[in-house]
Amino acid sequence: MQTSPTPEELRDLLLNAPESATTRVMAILLSLVLLGVVLTLVRRRTLREEYTPIWVTVSLVITIISIRMDWLRALTRAIGAWTPSSTLFFLGEVFLVCICLNYAVRLSRTNTRLKELAQETAVLRARLSWLEGQAAQDRQKK
Amino acid sequence: MPAFNEAARLPAVLDSVRQVVPDAQIVVINDGSKDATTDVARDHGATVLELPFNLGYGAALQTGYKYALETDAQVVVQMDADGQHDPSEIPVLRAPIESAEADLVIGSRFLQPTDYEMGHARSAGRRLFQWMAGRAGLSVTDPTSGFQAMNRTVLELYAGPFFPTDYPDVDVLLVAHRRGIRIREVSVHMKPETRKSTLHGGTRSFYYLYRLALSLWAGTNQRTS
Repeated sequence: MQTSPTPEELRDLLLNAPESATTRVMAILLSLVLLGVVLTLVRRRTLREEYTPIWVTVSLVITIISIRMDWLRALTRAIGAWTPSSTLFFLGEVFLVCICLNYAVRLSRTNTRLKELAQETAVLRARLSWLEGQAAQDRQKK
Repeated sequence: MPAFNEAARLPAVLDSVRQVVPDAQIVVINDGSKDATTDVARDHGATVLELPFNLGYGAALQTGYKYALETDAQVVVQMDADGQHDPSEIPVLRAPIESAEADLVIGSRFLQPTDYEMGHARSAGRRLFQWMAGRAGLSVTDPTSGFQAMNRTVLELYAGPFFPTDYPDVDVLLVAHRRGIRIREVSVHMKPETRKSTLHGGTRSFYYLYRLALSLWAGTNQRTS
């Protein structure tokens, strides 16, 4: 008679399920596309070089995971998750939150610089027109 | 005098300021107006600081402070361009600065009973922050007043990065208070304000309270320069 598996058996089953070759190929393709997009953006000067290391790293990590899926399974076991895909989702979310925060910080800094630049422009323009007025007066006196 | 689309009301305000303080340099900060604010202000004898785009009330004020610092101004009086403040009270604000009794003078609507009215939410918010300021040893009745006078010590502080881009409030005054700025209030009369209040509307008033609380906390716990 067939009995339903215990939670532990079910978890082992999910953790040890063999990955399909399609998943692997898809993941490698995805990382290559990401790398290609990043390099194209750099070539077109749309993305500055200093912003690329993080995306090149992401592309590499995807490639490594798709080749060594046993590492992902070991990590899944270590963090107490049930399936490798949930580990991937978890890591992905942590990464996205971190990168969004990082961009919010960069955006704040850029906004501050922009504000200071605008203020400086306004002050300098006023000073310039005052000096021009003075110069015109001096010329008239001569 | 920060101005945003004030071409219609500026002439009367500038003319009455000129009558009260004929020798003063009047500076209008055009905060990215879409109307003829700059031309109108120049025609009425004001120096115009023209911001390339709208930065917000606080950032516009700060532009004025920076200009005052560069041009060696000793006493600065700030007021709104919408005619809310009565220029005839400028000497009252200036006097304590000139006699070196205070560094910062705030024209308060609430120091004495006036005919000025404000909404319930706004007045509740005002009382809450007044209480918070009181706990820090600062007693101000009208921290959001845009009618103020200050000396160079205050200008140097306010030109710093902590100064908000939107409406400065009790948070800014608390930073000034902690830096040893001598703050004094004098009673002034004001017409009901026309600028969009930050304490109106549900979400906006929550955001306002949140932002101010955060700013107060940051002012207590962080470097200000």
